[in-house]
Amino acid sequence: MSTAAAAPLTPKPETARETIVEFKDVWKRYGNKEILAGVNLTISRGEVLCVLGPSGTGKSVTIRHINGLTQPDDGDIRVFDESVVGLSEEQLAPIRRRLAMLFQGGALFDSMNVEQNIAFPVVEHTDKPPEEVARIVAEKLSMVGLPGIQKKMPSELSGGMRKRVALARSIALEPEIILYDEPTTGLDPVSSEKIAQLIKDLNIRLKITSVVVTHDVVTARTVADRVAFLHQGRFQFIGTFSAAQRSTHPILQEYFRAMGFPCGTGVFPVVRENEQHG
Amino acid sequence: MTAPQPSATTVFYRNIRWLRFVDRFGRKGQTTLEYMGYLAELAGQVFVGAVTRPFYRFELLKQLDEIGVKSVSITGITAFSTGMVLALQTAYSLSAFGGKLFVGRVVALSLVRELGPVLTALMVGGRVGSGITAELGSMTVTEQVDALRSMAISPERRLVVPRVIATVLMMPVLTALADLLGILGGLGIAITELQMTVQDYLGSIWQQLQISDIMSGLGKSFFFGFEIAVIGCANGLRVEGGAASVGVATTRTVVLASICVLVSDFFLTKLFLAI
Repeated sequence: MSTAAAAPLTPKPETARETIVEFKDVWKRYGNKEILAGVNLTISRGEVLCVLGPSGTGKSVTIRHINGLTQPDDGDIRVFDESVVGLSEEQLAPIRRRLAMLFQGGALFDSMNVEQNIAFPVVEHTDKPPEEVARIVAEKLSMVGLPGIQKKMPSELSGGMRKRVALARSIALEPEIILYDEPTTGLDPVSSEKIAQLIKDLNIRLKITSVVVTHDVVTARTVADRVAFLHQGRFQFIGTFSAAQRSTHPILQEYFRAMGFPCGTGVFPVVRENEQHG
Repeated sequence: MTAPQPSATTVFYRNIRWLRFVDRFGRKGQTTLEYMGYLAELAGQVFVGAVTRPFYRFELLKQLDEIGVKSVSITGITAFSTGMVLALQTAYSLSAFGGKLFVGRVVALSLVRELGPVLTALMVGGRVGSGITAELGSMTVTEQVDALRSMAISPERRLVVPRVIATVLMMPVLTALADLLGILGGLGIAITELQMTVQDYLGSIWQQLQISDIMSGLGKSFFFGFEIAVIGCANGLRVEGGAASVGVATTRTVVLASICVLVSDFFLTKLFLAI
């Protein structure tokens, strides 16, 4: 049993902070496949936690439990000190209003332009006048580095721009937690770096707690206060990125090496070719 | 000579095969029941969503245009052609008995009571039902539906309720239009091919057609609209996987909506005849 609780490699955060999300012995199975097998995890307010791991290990499923898009088979998930397990859509609504999620493909509404997409949650959940909504849209677009594209349709945007617009939509209601599902997947290294910097900036400027699911170690290195390595349904390692690099955990070592990062040796990560020119 | 007895192993495997069949049959039944349960749940959510806040008026107006106004041409052409064919066939069949004067009433009664609502429903089922499934299915696979949920917005209220209400409201309008155009199609044939006068044709309709005939046809179309829209939305929201699944779901919607329309037509006809 190598649960997070059992793993000796899990350092505690240096200062005790308010726990904002907590997984307690969470199990999830799809058909015959066990995706989560007794996951334990705590996320503190204001931190950036990267859920790292190979594709298909259940990283996205893990964060979808936080906003109730997926319900566990067993165990408990507490968000803002309230259990989200077994709640109806109506009961989940107040919790979801304090959360936002950035989906892998952006999930922008095809039928709406950029402005309508970003304004959508604001219009739905507040009574702000149109001028105020327009101001919020412009402000959020500036924050993600895309000012003045309000009238463009999602189909006119590149992959990176779509994700940044989706990010602008996510922060439109100034959530306390943002869940990022593979924010840099499918992007070129420059765009990936921009998104990663943006995640870090938002965390610092808006004090947003961020949970980032990624298989990309470079992104994790840029954004993470802590990384949680998911493998075979359990977190095999939870700790800082540098602690992960120093780890002697064989699977983690193998994963880091496969991604071009020496692990368990205490040396600094090698710089990837594409980064030397970036 | 008696047939050799099957060995214990053969019997065992034969039983397993039977068990597999029972298992497959059971799973299929379970899936069907689950689907019917989902349809019922979605229908219930539509009823609740139709009478409680929030109301999505602009979305409803958009859907009224999308589902209703844009279906006028397809249902109109279908009904007009059907009216013409009906007039021709009726005249051909009844001419031996000197029944050409009955053409108007046969065309009108057939269209208003039966063909108008059913053909309109089949056309709308093909155009609107498949369109709804394709749109919601694409939204599901690209996580737009999940995005709505994650923003604490109910996809059922935001996407399903306006589409169902729009279809239910527009179906009787389209049916009435189809009835009218079908009768006009028949009139065209009556004048040009059968050398009838407008007065003869319309007079026979006026004598025969009852208000109950019109109401039963329009009444059916409400139910047909509801069936088509709920099936279309349910299949769209249940899509799993990629683009291929959207195609499969769209086909399923057309097939299922058509079957539901035709089967429920029988029961609705009985119901309206009894009223």
